[in-house]
Amino acid sequence: MKTAKQCGVALCPKCHKLNNATAEKIQCSRCHGLYYQRKRNSLQYTLAWNLAALIAFIPANLYPIMIVYQLGIGSEATILSGIGEFIDHGLYPIAVIIFTASIIVPLIKIIGLFVLVYKAHTGIRLKPDKHSKIYHILEFLGPWSMLDVFVVALMVTVVELGFVTSVAAGPAINYFTITVIFTMFAANSFDPRLLWDKKAE
Amino acid sequence: MNTSLFIACQQCDALYDKPQLKQGQLAKCHRCGSTLIERKVDSIERSFNWSLAGLLLMLPAILLPIMGVTLAGQFHQASLFDCILVLIDRGFFMIALLVFLFAIAVPIVRLSGALYISYSFKFNKLKPSLLNFFRAYHHLDNWAMLNVFMLGIVVSMYKLIDDTELSVNLGLLAFIFWLICSTMSAVALDQDYIWDKLEKAFAKNEADNENS
Repeated sequence: MKTAKQCGVALCPKCHKLNNATAEKIQCSRCHGLYYQRKRNSLQYTLAWNLAALIAFIPANLYPIMIVYQLGIGSEATILSGIGEFIDHGLYPIAVIIFTASIIVPLIKIIGLFVLVYKAHTGIRLKPDKHSKIYHILEFLGPWSMLDVFVVALMVTVVELGFVTSVAAGPAINYFTITVIFTMFAANSFDPRLLWDKKAE
Repeated sequence: MNTSLFIACQQCDALYDKPQLKQGQLAKCHRCGSTLIERKVDSIERSFNWSLAGLLLMLPAILLPIMGVTLAGQFHQASLFDCILVLIDRGFFMIALLVFLFAIAVPIVRLSGALYISYSFKFNKLKPSLLNFFRAYHHLDNWAMLNVFMLGIVVSMYKLIDDTELSVNLGLLAFIFWLICSTMSAVALDQDYIWDKLEKAFAKNEADNENS
């Protein structure tokens, strides 16, 4: 099977039109967008965004994400202690959902992308069909980690009963959003075609 | 090499002869299994209707209160718009911005974009500016998070129902319909068909210009 690169043509990432790859930077004849045959410096960008996401994930877990005030007394909760509270209250489905969305998914995304970058760079035990499926799952999971941020936003807004009860967002929320957005950038800058290229070499 | 006779897989770059598809058919990549091209049934008509419905539902979904709580005799309810006002008021600018971008701005821009494109095709008003417009439309593909926000609503309702009296308002219903409409309008839009049409329309224009 031949790839477009081997035949000297390149696929426009926006309108999916094939163009002859005459120069390094190609202008699409259909949508007039400029692009490269492969995403440029794909692995470096993915690695950089990924590392930044991993760093931001540490304060996201250490600082409190939500502070609940009841009669003027505030109790802080980090992501993990919030999940612990759910388990104490017997709300297991919510505990599972929050744990999946805010701990497992970001970690899986970060680790998975590191592995994919490593495989695409070295080609050790590379199975492009399997690994490109993993990439698809990682890409799909991206926005779902935002769940915790939206839940906190809704809680802050809805539970606003002055002195009786109110909820405030903690500093961790900013770090957590940064983590999620950075992992989305990381997944976007990875080019799955590099996996197949490496295998074909 | 005549590039219009071939098509490459977006995910693995395998090269194929371009298949001629009827409405409702799709071609898959032999090597990685992802979709090469897909012809959707009644794409223009459907995305026009869904995005119009979505834009009509936008105002009630944003302005009507989604849910309210009663605790110790006090009642408080909030809509999506209140949500942003309260967050700004209390100084949580980052989440206010995020909620605004991902749950309001991006879905609205995408819906109006889909409406404008399907309107132009429905009434045959193709302009060269559509090329840039549709290219820009794809930039927002990953950033509409209405579905995640919906799950957020469910989770926070579950959280609140335990120790407060929770009431659900019309806003939630409008929001659910808005979510369905915006998802369907994005799903119904047939990109390959639109790009093909645009290419043909403007290739002809360029030829005309050369002749005149």
